[in-house]
Amino acid sequence: MKNIFIWTIVLGALILSHSAFTQSITGIITDEFEMPLPGVSVYVKGTTLGSVTDFDGLYTLLINEGDITGETLTLVISYVGYKTQEYVFPVDPAAEITKNIILSEDIETLEEFVVVGYGVQKASDVTGAVSSIKTDEITNLPVTRLDQALAGKAAGVQVNETTGQPGESVKVRIRGIGTINNNDPLYIVDGVPTKEISGILNPEDIESMTVLKDAASAAIYGARAGNGVVIIKTKKGISQKPLISYNGYVGVQTYGHLTPMANADEYIDIFNEAAANDGRKPIPQDIYPQLVNTDWMRSIFQPAVMTNHQLTFSGGSEKSTYLIGGGYLSQEGIILNSGYEKVNFRLNLSSNLSEKVSIGTNLTFVYSSQDIIGGSGDGYGGNGGSVVRYAFFRTPPTSIYNDDGTYMDLPNYEGYPRADLNTWFGDGYNPVGLANKYDWTANLYRTFGNIYLNWEIIPGLTFRTDFGIDLNVMDEKRFNENWGTDGRINNPSSLTKGMGINYTWNWTNSLTYNKTFKEKHKFSALLGTEALKNTNHQQWGSDREFPDQSSYLRYLGNGLTLNKGANEIETGWSLLSVFGRVNYNFASRYLAEAVIRADGSSRFSEDHRWGVFYSGSVGWNIHNESFLSEARWLNQFKLRLSLGQTGNQEIGLYNYLSIVSPGYNYPYGGVVYNGYVVSSLGNTNTTWETTTTYDIGLDFAFLDDRLALITDYYWRYTSDMLVPVPLPPSGGDANPPFVNAGEVLNQGFEAELMWREIKPNFKYEINGNIAILKNEVKKLGGGRPIAAGRVDNGVFATLTEEGYPIGSFFMYEMDGIFQNELEIFSSPYQGPDIEPGDVKFKDLNGDNVIDANDRTHVGSAIPKLIYGLTFNFSWKNFDLSIFFQGVHGNSIYMQVNQDIEGFYRGFNVTKRFYDNHWTGEGSTNEYPRASWVGAANNKVASTRFLASGTYLRIKNLSLGYNIPLDETSWVQALRVYFSVQNAYTITKYPGLDPEMYNSNNLQGENVQNPDLASGIDWGTYPIPRIYTLGVNFNF
Amino acid sequence: MKYNLKFFLLLLVTSFIVNSGCKKFLDEELLGERSDLQFYQTAEDAELALTGIYNSLSFAEANNRIWVFGDVASDDAAKGGIPGDQADIGLIDDFNITTTNGNLENVWNLYYEGVSRANWLLDNIGGINMNQERKDEITGEAKFLRAYYYYRLASVFGDIPVHISVPTPQEMQKPATPVDEVFTNVIIPDLNEAASKLPETASAGRATKYSAWGLLTKCYLFLKKWPEAENAASQVINTGFYSLEQLYSDNFEHLTKDNQEVIFSVQHLAGQDPWLGNRLNQWFAPRENNGYGFNVPTQNFVDAFEITSAGVVDPRLDYTVGREGQIWYDTIAFDSTWSPTGYLNRKYIQPLAEVSKESKADGELNYQYIRYSDILMMMAEALNEQGKSGEAVIFINMIRTRARESYKYDPLLPGYPNIPDGLLPDVQDNGQNGVREALRHERRVELGFEFHRYFDIIRYGPEYANQAFQDKPNFNYETNKFMPIPQKELDTNFEL
Repeated sequence: MKNIFIWTIVLGALILSHSAFTQSITGIITDEFEMPLPGVSVYVKGTTLGSVTDFDGLYTLLINEGDITGETLTLVISYVGYKTQEYVFPVDPAAEITKNIILSEDIETLEEFVVVGYGVQKASDVTGAVSSIKTDEITNLPVTRLDQALAGKAAGVQVNETTGQPGESVKVRIRGIGTINNNDPLYIVDGVPTKEISGILNPEDIESMTVLKDAASAAIYGARAGNGVVIIKTKKGISQKPLISYNGYVGVQTYGHLTPMANADEYIDIFNEAAANDGRKPIPQDIYPQLVNTDWMRSIFQPAVMTNHQLTFSGGSEKSTYLIGGGYLSQEGIILNSGYEKVNFRLNLSSNLSEKVSIGTNLTFVYSSQDIIGGSGDGYGGNGGSVVRYAFFRTPPTSIYNDDGTYMDLPNYEGYPRADLNTWFGDGYNPVGLANKYDWTANLYRTFGNIYLNWEIIPGLTFRTDFGIDLNVMDEKRFNENWGTDGRINNPSSLTKGMGINYTWNWTNSLTYNKTFKEKHKFSALLGTEALKNTNHQQWGSDREFPDQSSYLRYLGNGLTLNKGANEIETGWSLLSVFGRVNYNFASRYLAEAVIRADGSSRFSEDHRWGVFYSGSVGWNIHNESFLSEARWLNQFKLRLSLGQTGNQEIGLYNYLSIVSPGYNYPYGGVVYNGYVVSSLGNTNTTWETTTTYDIGLDFAFLDDRLALITDYYWRYTSDMLVPVPLPPSGGDANPPFVNAGEVLNQGFEAELMWREIKPNFKYEINGNIAILKNEVKKLGGGRPIAAGRVDNGVFATLTEEGYPIGSFFMYEMDGIFQNELEIFSSPYQGPDIEPGDVKFKDLNGDNVIDANDRTHVGSAIPKLIYGLTFNFSWKNFDLSIFFQGVHGNSIYMQVNQDIEGFYRGFNVTKRFYDNHWTGEGSTNEYPRASWVGAANNKVASTRFLASGTYLRIKNLSLGYNIPLDETSWVQALRVYFSVQNAYTITKYPGLDPEMYNSNNLQGENVQNPDLASGIDWGTYPIPRIYTLGVNFNF
Repeated sequence: MKYNLKFFLLLLVTSFIVNSGCKKFLDEELLGERSDLQFYQTAEDAELALTGIYNSLSFAEANNRIWVFGDVASDDAAKGGIPGDQADIGLIDDFNITTTNGNLENVWNLYYEGVSRANWLLDNIGGINMNQERKDEITGEAKFLRAYYYYRLASVFGDIPVHISVPTPQEMQKPATPVDEVFTNVIIPDLNEAASKLPETASAGRATKYSAWGLLTKCYLFLKKWPEAENAASQVINTGFYSLEQLYSDNFEHLTKDNQEVIFSVQHLAGQDPWLGNRLNQWFAPRENNGYGFNVPTQNFVDAFEITSAGVVDPRLDYTVGREGQIWYDTIAFDSTWSPTGYLNRKYIQPLAEVSKESKADGELNYQYIRYSDILMMMAEALNEQGKSGEAVIFINMIRTRARESYKYDPLLPGYPNIPDGLLPDVQDNGQNGVREALRHERRVELGFEFHRYFDIIRYGPEYANQAFQDKPNFNYETNKFMPIPQKELDTNFEL
């Protein structure tokens, strides 16, 4: 009796548990080749019901009674790269439906949407020169800054690391160098403009990245768009089940090529040879037992670890979406005591308040900390000198450490006077000591983002208001420890500490209207205003003479000096703009666009504040014409023409004023008085620079869009370029004023090619881009050239002059080596102390004397050709990608060779100089004799030290494997990969790395724009080779 | 629909007004700094600007290379230092001078900046409402300094472009004025006005009436205007304010550097930020002590000092030069291996007790530009050239007496307090030529390493110069009496 009761209850429970009916839909989703597709999103339209296919392509949806209102449900199948499909089923609580689905590839890439200024357009409707960056190619790249990832990814976009130091800035140049003032492009991140992209984005955050290259596409951003615009949209949540995604990697970094230097024996050998040549004291044999043989170049490097962890949660419903993420990145430097660390959080939310109104926010918070050492230059710019440079200089017979464990500064071998030791072994700083003694940190706390509101007032008319902020708080601390023999280095010890806030807000309001008449006439209009304001407030303090240099006491106030420094800077600038754009599209065949924008800037005096910029472009989709409708092989054939103007106002903030500065003091009988002088001259007539660009482009696509080609020819002319016209020094030393007096032309040709092929089990894709560029200064402030790039006292390596590129190298030309006295006698007069074995220079003006008039333009740091090529293969679960990047036709001036091959003081020499220097008639025509006396002639800045900067680099090599998962696993996707960044470089450049931009020395030179003097190598921190092992994990 | 339209219009209009209505939005003030429109307004500003002009005198600036042209180029000194270091200085020493030599640019830029600072003040001081007496004094000081800078530029470069008010960029395109006109039309008028406006005394380092007269004397000597030179020198001598220090070396020591012999000096102070210390303390010191060892005395200079038959040398030799067998400083003996010539100059070096090895560049000694002994010798020269050799020797002998009497006052000299026999006997009047020779000799040994020698040699004429530079084969009087204008100026000033 009891049994039956129990069983009845159990049965009843079982029946009851099924009394809520459940409809199930299940099936397997495959591609056209019957390969199961994992990770396909399957959801019921209008609900939060959804699922994702597992590794066998199986999906299961369980719909409970009451989940769906109405009689039918629509199942939506969507997957990136495939055409979305929809199926309608009746709502039937008891039904169990099986639906297998085959998805077909959506390889009509040209039907993709491209993000353009203030909106999106279908790729086929775009009339400007626009490059899209494929985000899957940049995900997982071990870079600390997003702009590093742009290298070689878009035609005409050249990216250069300044140095290889972690956290260092990157130079991005779109279509050459337009001006001698600021050449950085404008970045628009989720609608917020900024010129400084460091830290706020990781490659994993990016959903799309577009480069607007010509004026027509960029003009809508007028004011700061003269150098091109990069539009970035970050990933948002999607209306689906929550997705958790983890991307992480661990890597090891090492140095690449090292310049071979002489060892101790070779150094002594060549020193004594020079001593014999010059009649000086040689290094005596009896000191040899005390000497060592240190490989200084290698001593400054350390194996360095790089790790990155990024975790995101994203999801949403039809009404709201979210993406919350955070991460940590750390990169040790390959040179001692350098490194970079970053913690970031991201929050992207959006919500539909109603059918017509939506709001949202995209916010990111970053904290980054950089441990800095000198990475370039010789300290003239205030960074204390490059550690690599001192590693070149330091002679091998010296040790790293003294017997007591401290760093050996001046060698102190027993029994020899200090003056002799300094002469024999040099007094250059110990680079290991120097690197480790740098106590220099820069921290940045950045909040970046926007909040917006979208209102669809009536169908087709949308209003958007967008408020963005960019708040940067920085603090920087630098302690110069007093060390060295007799405390000669950094005497007295000093501390500099600064904190600052740099805050920019922008507010944009825009109104867009879209309307299609009679199906064929598509018309859209945009009208908007933008206001931008920046405030920068910094405080700096300094203190000196620290009696106790322990690190816990390195704070302001602990110094003994009564002369503490305090300095405060406050500046601001603002921009106000009104803009409008009209687009017309006739049947996707004829396209036209016109833009007008007016900008006002606070940097000009009242009468010269406003600039108006126009642009227009047209396009013709020839493949849509009736006469080509039969040509099925031709998927796209488009002709684009554009003409536009953009403005640049990135010069100093108060250029219309002459500035009077303090600090020019004098003591009268021991009492110090303050002195002020006019330190820079102003010009009230300065106004906007204007860049006019013509662009003609042809786009093709063939073979079902498997092969695509985009080509452009452009002509980009900057006029009213603001030039600091160099003034004669007899008029004083104040910085000269800017005058709108220059003109620069950049012209070139670009092409992007894409070829892809999909076979069963195997897929490959090739993307390439190439750009040829010619840069020429057309006019320059009344014809007065600008010398920049100081490489020696009073000697400048570049001259920016009409008829030559910006920053063109200008110097003597080497004409071999004098082999004998007769040759010296019969050649143009070069000076009274020339001996056989000295460098001979060309007499370019034929006056039989070598003097300053025999200098000429010999090359440029701007490459003539830049290119990138990516191969992506995937076979079953494996994927392989190889990315090549290169430049051609640029030169680099090796300033450091002036000292390590110029035979100067007691510095080490390169192995090639040791092996090949001139030892007698006929020995060589390339390297001079070993002599200090000869240095006055042989060290002269000439083509002797100018090297080719051409390189081809395997920038990234990556092998990945998608781990097959159990179908019941909660993990949706798991991929592991191994990659090598900067795997291999083919170059003739003898220095450490041909990719470097400019040196820190330019700060001391007060050069307004580093493009005036780039490509000068003083011994630069090289870019590391990075081996990483990483994992992408979705669940 | 109507509601929507009204609302939308309102929103549109509001946003447009807010966004584009405020013209003031684009006004950004200069904060924390002054522009020229806000400066040169008050008495305070005038003092601040004046100090800025003095600032260009200083040797706290490593680029102040006047010593390269005054000493190294002459027969008194050689470059020194490590071979290969500052090779450009060696090229000046050898008269292998091209327009790209960095030292030319350093001196040109530095002193023209001084001129420019003076021009800014002088152009604007008229409009300042302040006490007239001080205003005149400031004008006098500024004019004196401008004259000093032009004097330096003209002595080094000869024909130079001249600006006596702030030039516009167009006005900076100016051809050179011949050197004699620079003196007569610019330097001398400035000094005359300065002499009338400057006070008779002032704090150490500031220009006084007599600084102006002293520099005027130099100008007249350059122009060979002997009566005017005599007059100018007598202005200084007749006041009675100045006299020779008992000890010659007092002028070159920290505690006694500001004294009754100094007529105009360039001042320095240690421990300051921005730097105001005398870097010559490091540039001329031995490398052993963290110095660079430049500007080293030649054997020729050392040999110029008189020696008695008993072997006692003119005491000024050891006050000027460090040499083997003598004490350098404190108790350290001089080591001739410290220098390629075996000697180092010591007028700017301080003992380690005063300025340590670590802070070697923070010296505090003056550069004594015009000393009373210089005035006396210039008086003697002016008199002698007018044929008044008898009067001239009186002045020469004042100098010699002071030097000789070092033995009476310096306890460190062997034999103190007795003057050795036959040391520096008085010069006799044996005719203009004889006195001229004696005077030129006296000038050399009295003012050694005070950056005057090269200019004196050139001033004396080609015969003397060729004799002095016998061992410098590249020297050519006509080419080398002035230095070439630096390349940077030639590249930017098309009127030259």
